[in-house]
Amino acid sequence: MSIASRVITAKTPASPSSVPEITSVLVVTQASFSLVAGLSAIPFSIVEPGFRMLSLLTILVAIGMFWLARNLRRQGRWARRCVIALEALSLAASLLLMLLPIGAVRGPVPVLVNLVMPASVLWLLCSRSGRAAFRRTGRSDARGAA
Amino acid sequence: MYDTASEHAPAIAAAILLLAVLWLIPRTLSMLANRGIRWAVAPVDVYRRASAITKLAAGLMLLTGAIHLALIPSHEGATGFLFVIDGLGFIALGVAAFLTSWWRRPAVLWLVSTIVAYVIWIIAGWETPDQIGIACKLIELVALGLVLRLGPPGRRTWPRRVWRAVAFPMLVSLTTVGIWVGGLVHPDALHAHPGALLQPVATEATPDQREAAARLITDTRASIARYRNPAVAIAAGFKPGPASSAEPLRHFENPANAKIILDPNHPQALVYAQTKHGLQLIGAMYQMPRAGQWGPDPGGPLTQWHQHEGICFSPFGFEFSFETPFWTCPLGSTSITTPPMLHVWIIDNGTQGPFAADLDQTVQKQLQGS
Repeated sequence: MSIASRVITAKTPASPSSVPEITSVLVVTQASFSLVAGLSAIPFSIVEPGFRMLSLLTILVAIGMFWLARNLRRQGRWARRCVIALEALSLAASLLLMLLPIGAVRGPVPVLVNLVMPASVLWLLCSRSGRAAFRRTGRSDARGAA
Repeated sequence: MYDTASEHAPAIAAAILLLAVLWLIPRTLSMLANRGIRWAVAPVDVYRRASAITKLAAGLMLLTGAIHLALIPSHEGATGFLFVIDGLGFIALGVAAFLTSWWRRPAVLWLVSTIVAYVIWIIAGWETPDQIGIACKLIELVALGLVLRLGPPGRRTWPRRVWRAVAFPMLVSLTTVGIWVGGLVHPDALHAHPGALLQPVATEATPDQREAAARLITDTRASIARYRNPAVAIAAGFKPGPASSAEPLRHFENPANAKIILDPNHPQALVYAQTKHGLQLIGAMYQMPRAGQWGPDPGGPLTQWHQHEGICFSPFGFEFSFETPFWTCPLGSTSITTPPMLHVWIIDNGTQGPFAADLDQTVQKQLQGS
């Protein structure tokens, strides 16, 4: 066997099972940021009752994201669809805010958190290996939804 | 509140350069190996055998290592020395991820120590939280999350399961809170309060600047006197801002004056205080057309402009929360940076003065009680 053919033989694609693990880590990180944002709004919501709802909603979404991340790791197809919808919504909102002259995205941190992270999750979940990883299991879908 | 320090700019260049190198090296080696170059076969083989998580975790550690090394010139003394050790450690661990089987535990220790040390440095006031430092922590947190996923499942006892589930989110949350606390406890000289960035100005006002500042107050007071009755202001095109029990001041903005710069006859907004007897005119607000565009300050340090940033605005238009260091806001609100503004208080603003970013707390209480 020639050296070249040995290299080509070794050229196997990345394990599809890596995609659920990587995306779950990214979603847990995003969920933790949302949780802190929701909790930090509580002191401000004391004087404005309407904001209690926004604060509570943020905390609930963060908890939901933790749950989705758990089910992504278990390769739940339902979780994959929900995360794709959430990340697409988040990315679209961030892109829209970036176009507006309100300074919502300035510097490397907002670019990483609001653009690169959702785009990475979307890219991973919609890639060929991402689709393959979630196609493998059928039962996990029911388990995730339960 | 979290800017990019100019002396940290080389870190961005280092990050871009490293990303290019990380993209180029595997492809070049692979091409050489495919052409039969012997020495290129072994590294390509090692790289191919590594899992995607290992590759990503190693890449992120190499990235943060390069950023740390690029930041050495802007950090002196013990901190600079720690940056050398940290940067070299991350690069060694990034390479070790492909060559060894023992790299995982040292990587977890190195990442956790670096993140905790950064939070301690920020809370102690030895370092100012800026976007490069925070971006670096984000990279390290994601790398840590990935390295933790590579661990063996271990015994499936409940305490272990719970610990595995909460340890990483807890560290992310505590890091966010730690950086936040540090930034709030040690604001730099150009922050009037969290969320208000002041225009850089000279320390002493010249006699001419004092005279110009006094003239601006006189002209503003004379010009806006006609709007003591809010109904007159509304008729003249000023639109009342939202009323809120949390905010005792109300701004009436006139969109027609948006492009006019520091003209006492055409202020961008009027400021009213909500008193027991209705709205009382207490000042005017001048505003520049765009964020980051500081206005003319005829009074030098006396007429210092400020812009609001790092504040989460709800759809209702009230400021109600500060943005986290990782630039996140509660759902339904967004971070907004306002164009620079200059308040001219036509009432006695106590110790704060006639051009302060905020109304004096004592004056505000008196107005609310009147």
